[in-house]
Amino acid sequence: MTPPPAASVADMIRPVPLVADSQVNRDILAVMDRPTMPYWLLLGFLVVFVHAAGAVWVYQVYKGLGIAGYAHPIFWGVYIVTFVFWVGIAHAGTLISAILYLFRSKWRNAINRSAEAMTVFAVLTAAQFLGIHVGRIWKSYFILPYPNQRGLWVNFKSPLVWDTFAISTYGTISALFLFVGLIPDFAIARDRSTGWRKVLYTALALGWEGKSKQWKAWNRTVLHLSGLCTPLVLSVHSVVSWDFAMSIVPTWHATIFAPYFVAGAIFSGFAMVLTMMIPVRRIFGLEAYITEYHFDNMGKFILLTSLIVGYSYVMEFFIAWYSGNEFEQTAWWYRVFGPYWISTWTMLICNTMIPQLLWFKRVRTHVPTLFAVSIFVNIGMWFERYVIIVIGLSHEYDPAVWGIYTPRPAELMILAGSFAFFAMFFVIFIKLFPVIAVSEMKELAIHRKSHAHEGAH
Amino acid sequence: MPLLLGVFETPNKVVEVIGRLRNRGYEDLDVFSPAPFPAVEDALIDKPSRVRLWTLIGGLAGVTTGFAMTIWMSLDWPIVVGGKELASIPPYVVIGFELTILFGGLLTLVGLAVHAGLPHGKFGKNDVGYSARFSAEDFGLTVRCKERDVVEVDALLRAFNAKEVSLVEP
Amino acid sequence: MPELDRRDFLKLVGVGAGAAAAAGCSDPVEKLIPYVVQPDIITPGIPVYYASTCRECPAGCGLHVKTREGRPIKLEGNPEHPVNKGSLCARGQAGLGRTYHPDRFPGPMLRGSDGKLAPISWKDATELVATKLRGGAGGAYLLGSDPGPTASGVLDKWVAAVGAGGRIVYEPFAPEALVEAAQLVFGNASEPVFDLSKADLVVSFANDFLETWVSPVEHARQLAEARDISAHPEGGARFVYFGPRLSMTASSSDEWIPARPGSEGILAMALARVVLENGGGSASERALLAGVLDGFDAERAAARTGVDAKTIERVGKALAKAKAPIALPPAGGFASNRARAATAAVLVLNQLTGAVGKTLALLPLPSDGKRASYKELLALVDSMKSGKVSVLLVHGADPAYSMPQTTDFADALTKVPFVVSFASSTDETSALAHLILPEHTPLESWGDAQPRAGVRSVLQPAVRPLQDTQALIDALLDIGRAVSPEVAAKLPTGSFRTLLEAAWSDADFRQVLQRGGVFAEKSGPASASLSPGVAKLGVADPVLEGEGDYVLLALPSPLLYDGRGANLPWLQEIPDPVTKIVWQSWLEVSHETAQKLGLVAGDVVVIETGGQRRAEVPVVPRGGIRNDVVALAVGQGHTQGLYASRELERGVNDPQGKRLYPLPENAGRQVARGVNVISLLAAATDEAGGRAWLTTKAKLTKAGRSERVAFTGANDNMRERMLGEAITLSDLVAGKSVVDPEMLGLAASVKERLQDAARRGEEMTPPAGVPAEALTRNGELIAFNPADDAKPGSPYRWGMSIDLDRCTGCSACVAACYLENNVPIVGEEQSIRGRIMSWLRLERYVTDGDIDYVGGRPPHSTLERLGHVGVRHLPMLCQHCGSAPCEPVCPVFATYHNPEGLNGMVYNRCIGTRYCSNNCPYKVRRFNYFDYSLETWPEPMKLMLNPDVTVRCQGVMEKCTYCAQRVEFARQPAKNEKRLIRDGEVTPACAQSCPTQAITFGNLKDADSQVAKKASDPKRGYHALHVLNTRPATTYLAKVVRGPVEV
Repeated sequence: MTPPPAASVADMIRPVPLVADSQVNRDILAVMDRPTMPYWLLLGFLVVFVHAAGAVWVYQVYKGLGIAGYAHPIFWGVYIVTFVFWVGIAHAGTLISAILYLFRSKWRNAINRSAEAMTVFAVLTAAQFLGIHVGRIWKSYFILPYPNQRGLWVNFKSPLVWDTFAISTYGTISALFLFVGLIPDFAIARDRSTGWRKVLYTALALGWEGKSKQWKAWNRTVLHLSGLCTPLVLSVHSVVSWDFAMSIVPTWHATIFAPYFVAGAIFSGFAMVLTMMIPVRRIFGLEAYITEYHFDNMGKFILLTSLIVGYSYVMEFFIAWYSGNEFEQTAWWYRVFGPYWISTWTMLICNTMIPQLLWFKRVRTHVPTLFAVSIFVNIGMWFERYVIIVIGLSHEYDPAVWGIYTPRPAELMILAGSFAFFAMFFVIFIKLFPVIAVSEMKELAIHRKSHAHEGAH
Repeated sequence: MPLLLGVFETPNKVVEVIGRLRNRGYEDLDVFSPAPFPAVEDALIDKPSRVRLWTLIGGLAGVTTGFAMTIWMSLDWPIVVGGKELASIPPYVVIGFELTILFGGLLTLVGLAVHAGLPHGKFGKNDVGYSARFSAEDFGLTVRCKERDVVEVDALLRAFNAKEVSLVEP
Repeated sequence: MPELDRRDFLKLVGVGAGAAAAAGCSDPVEKLIPYVVQPDIITPGIPVYYASTCRECPAGCGLHVKTREGRPIKLEGNPEHPVNKGSLCARGQAGLGRTYHPDRFPGPMLRGSDGKLAPISWKDATELVATKLRGGAGGAYLLGSDPGPTASGVLDKWVAAVGAGGRIVYEPFAPEALVEAAQLVFGNASEPVFDLSKADLVVSFANDFLETWVSPVEHARQLAEARDISAHPEGGARFVYFGPRLSMTASSSDEWIPARPGSEGILAMALARVVLENGGGSASERALLAGVLDGFDAERAAARTGVDAKTIERVGKALAKAKAPIALPPAGGFASNRARAATAAVLVLNQLTGAVGKTLALLPLPSDGKRASYKELLALVDSMKSGKVSVLLVHGADPAYSMPQTTDFADALTKVPFVVSFASSTDETSALAHLILPEHTPLESWGDAQPRAGVRSVLQPAVRPLQDTQALIDALLDIGRAVSPEVAAKLPTGSFRTLLEAAWSDADFRQVLQRGGVFAEKSGPASASLSPGVAKLGVADPVLEGEGDYVLLALPSPLLYDGRGANLPWLQEIPDPVTKIVWQSWLEVSHETAQKLGLVAGDVVVIETGGQRRAEVPVVPRGGIRNDVVALAVGQGHTQGLYASRELERGVNDPQGKRLYPLPENAGRQVARGVNVISLLAAATDEAGGRAWLTTKAKLTKAGRSERVAFTGANDNMRERMLGEAITLSDLVAGKSVVDPEMLGLAASVKERLQDAARRGEEMTPPAGVPAEALTRNGELIAFNPADDAKPGSPYRWGMSIDLDRCTGCSACVAACYLENNVPIVGEEQSIRGRIMSWLRLERYVTDGDIDYVGGRPPHSTLERLGHVGVRHLPMLCQHCGSAPCEPVCPVFATYHNPEGLNGMVYNRCIGTRYCSNNCPYKVRRFNYFDYSLETWPEPMKLMLNPDVTVRCQGVMEKCTYCAQRVEFARQPAKNEKRLIRDGEVTPACAQSCPTQAITFGNLKDADSQVAKKASDPKRGYHALHVLNTRPATTYLAKVVRGPVEV
């Protein structure tokens, strides 16, 4: 699909008189064109679905967690699984914008904006589940260290408190990073919009005019935020993994968990970027900006992380066997051949076998195949968390109280709701903010242009 | 004093003209640029941005807060859990680290606001000479000079093939 | 029923000690106000105890009824009572619920023509019965359980005065054959009383004396005494169990010999023969038995009993050699139509081995009181059928449920024009009655009981009746007096209470009420001689009806007994000691049988036992049962009762509209909960007319569907994980320890930790189960002492020791915990989902020592095998670890380590992240999935909650607290007297109720305390999952494997 003619955007983003507006601006801002009926339908559906899931959750709060599938001794289930899943998704964004920024790999420019947005929304979604899974949400503020009459603080030795700090920090910083990156683009949108959008963008642009001192400070800020985000992104999923590694549950208590989880997070994160960006690129005709080159690179990343994850699986099995530890061995035996074997094999196939296709450049650059692979990876990574959490708890130290967990409708509804929740924000985002970092794309464009000039001389 | 605006297409020309103007003793210059071009910015401002100070201060404040808070709170009401030390440092490293990042990030933003002078100007009002073309692909160089120098500056800007030069403020 | 609030209750106090004057009834008032005039025996917060007697089974254990502000909240054993000496079984504990049961009749009820019950005043009801009696009382009969000597006497007087047809005492599992056999063997009417405590060899012929036979609590205590390893270093009494099924009792044996059911008599004879051959018995006895015993030589007996000849020889020799052996006759579900002969044979065996006078006392039959007689009951049923019975008055029994279908008792009942039931809450019989005159529950009643000659025990009310009920005797006296002045003249005057006091006039009644009775143990003759009668003993294989391939065992359930426990939710929710199944009926079959029929656990089979008798029930295959036998517990299959039937789950007939879980999917389901096995049995009697239970063969066919069985024990294979440990007697004697130092060595963290400790200069005393050399192996400390895990200044470190060698798996502790700590009941559906809330669970592991590994890992499947015992009952509760994994992971300090070493749980602080449970290796933490405080205790059950224990709200974790409330209760007096809490002053509910005193609680810092001594047992002591280094305060003492009897 080719970019729509300027006329169709006239009412919203008006081409500036006197001078020809830049192609980059027009193409990218075209995405923010007045919403079409399919868009409204999609958004409507998402909003309704989110509320349906919300209703289920309200009922759960009223009736009790008994309507979920929890059964002694499996006290963490779909909710925590989904929490970890979304935190994982949240990793690609920061990785792309921060780490690749530090490595000065310019190819990131096309995707970093949407990836950052995904990060923010994914963290937002994940955070919901910390509340959803606790038994007494109306008392969940106890987990914050605030001064109170009881004179009681929180237990900073508990990984759950670490979680609270890590997740909130991550949410704040990634939102901040997204905003800073957006300021110049707000200015662009401001100069080309009318009506309420004009007001909105004027406010958000903070009077940005691309003056030198603004750019200078901005550059430095982006650099430093990247510097801060890089260790942060690595720490967040490490902390999440310690929720498990710090416990004594067989198959949880392993030193490999932090790197293993981080790799898994990047793995799933990149997959989700593909899952979201491939349709957007197609629908809004951004083929010119998100090219095979990008897909190729992301494919390589997914392949790499898949190998790391695969290695971790193998290593866990090996250590369980090598340790000669009865608890570990039995737990692992159950993981693969026990009542949960379906989840385990889904995980192994989706995460370690299917991504092997990406060894071939033809697969990495063939968009539909890539899309399919990304879906499989998303499924596989959800099941990885399911396998780790549920099976680990099912076969612990005391055989007399081994248990079986089966998700109940309420949990599955809220799980589905979380996807709608995430998608809802993203769908709103693409109509409100530039999905591609305009000024950074322009930087490249102008470079190209000026080089052409040099050549002319 | 009058204000001239020269419109350029490529950053390197802007850099060159800035150099020349400075030699001729014109110091009151500013640039509207559609995208970050370190060359241009350095030509105008030679000192590195102060934002980094803010980050440093934030980071230090964060790590101190992190450890101080955790240790003090553990001792304020001593509760033994799992037979561990009341104030055991290893678990508190996590809190210290997270707060380092958090405070560092927030103060960096403040730094941006201060040093980039954001929010800038009156709501909805742009500086004299600014126009939407500079959020397209054109560069704008504003020079403030005495009336008698206007002709020279104009010529000079055109010499570095500015697309157009205009006297935006008499 | 009338709303009863706290204030009413405060007024309902002091019935016992004659403070009834203070009582008065008014409309409920919702204000909380202090007493205006405080009854002198009530101090708010201080419990008042009343001595009474348990009526849950005929054993007659002594009770201490603990009341708070006038409400009974807990039943505990009466330490002075010779039968139970302070302990109480699960059934006794749960008996508390009867008084507060929602099913209780609010008052007298008359069944109208529409079949519905309508209230009627006592006056009218009395008059109504009286009129029925005026017209020919000859057709009037009294049918019921033994109400105790005094009441029994009055009833006889009443029958005589009214000129009623007669009175029949009915007790489904009455040991009638025992008395008959004694008559036959020793020639005089006497009651054989077995005392295991002095025995050195116990041989049980399919006698489950730890569960339901004559006096389970007493027998359990005696067995534990006889086997106490500290008193008998050589191991104490050996215990051989002959029987087709590895029952709870069998699991405590040293040797389980799976004999064919019904062959007990033959076995006894064969053993007697071996005993004689090895010099047992006197010359005369040899002469007398010569004829009887031929044909019972080991080989032929082996063929008939399924026990090989060598074993018979061996056990026989052991019996002959033993100084004080004791043989227990087949009973309960094993009473066949040859029960008398079989029992007699066992008595003969006892006589030959010289048990009489040592371990077997032949006491005179209680002078007063009438004995249960099944013969008379059958006669009554016949006359009912033939319409000779005009009025039937049923009390304290539920024959409509517990009589075999083939006797058509239900139909016979319909032929009776006027049936009066004295049941205090609904049951099958009262459902068929025309008039209901509810009697007091035992906790509201006066009365007495006579467990055995010389032991007289009294009942006194601990609370004013909750409903408009009357004592049985008073109701009957009123009726009698109303019949006519002549009758009235013949009746004793005064109320039952005055009559009771008169009956006890030989003792100081006040003192009797304080002590709970008069306990003058009688001892039987030092010896006895066989009567010539034994010459025609007639021991033979029982005749079984039905043409199936499997013998159907209908066994009294250890918890529901003969079904009377089924309406008490605690007994339904406490797992069966053997299969760990709750709320359901199941058919136990052998693995082989299951394979043959292609069944797995939960598959439903159709049982047919001839005639129209058939039932569908899910099977549970196990290794511990003979292939030619299937077993189905008595007790389920009720169609009446909130908990006994499925009414609750169907959401119907719940008096207060309160439901545990209204489950629409159950709407179509049958009302009966499980299967009533009695309806499958043929009505057979033994030689003397006593009731036979082993009567039927069963035909099994696959029903093709399956049900979810409510298992609460996932896996009985311990996989050598240091949970329910055992040590062989030889190792013990050799001074070995149950804890393998190597195993400790594995816990490197232990080493580090203790090296740190050493560096800090803390001294390490040899802890439980750690041989001195293990303390410093290669100069490294590798062990710890639980006493260190309290605040240095604190004088206490509470700890517990549990002796697995004494634990029989009876589950009394579980019941005690439920009732002491207000633990919620969750119901069948939730139990199936694994959501039982019990703080203390009994894990049952099966192992025969060496596990055969499959692929480097113990097999998942059970190790239960025919003829192997290897059962470990492991009471699992919060271990109150010194370094508790649950504590550091709680983000909000809801669980923490208190200065006295307890692992505290703050419900108000808990937000329900459930991380603590995930991180608890013992999995003893429970989660409130719903708001049970609203759903578990329908009115008026709320009134029985223990006010000292918080009722937990939805969404919080809970767990065993070592009964912290009891510790606190002991603290105040100690403070007042400026001393420390003394050893033994605090006893948790579980320890208090344990019949074998397997649980000891106390202060580990006090080296002289019982618990400290036990916990530092260097040989048997160990900590569950020691390798995890959780430093538990609970020390287990390994079970001692004594091995098969040798000669």
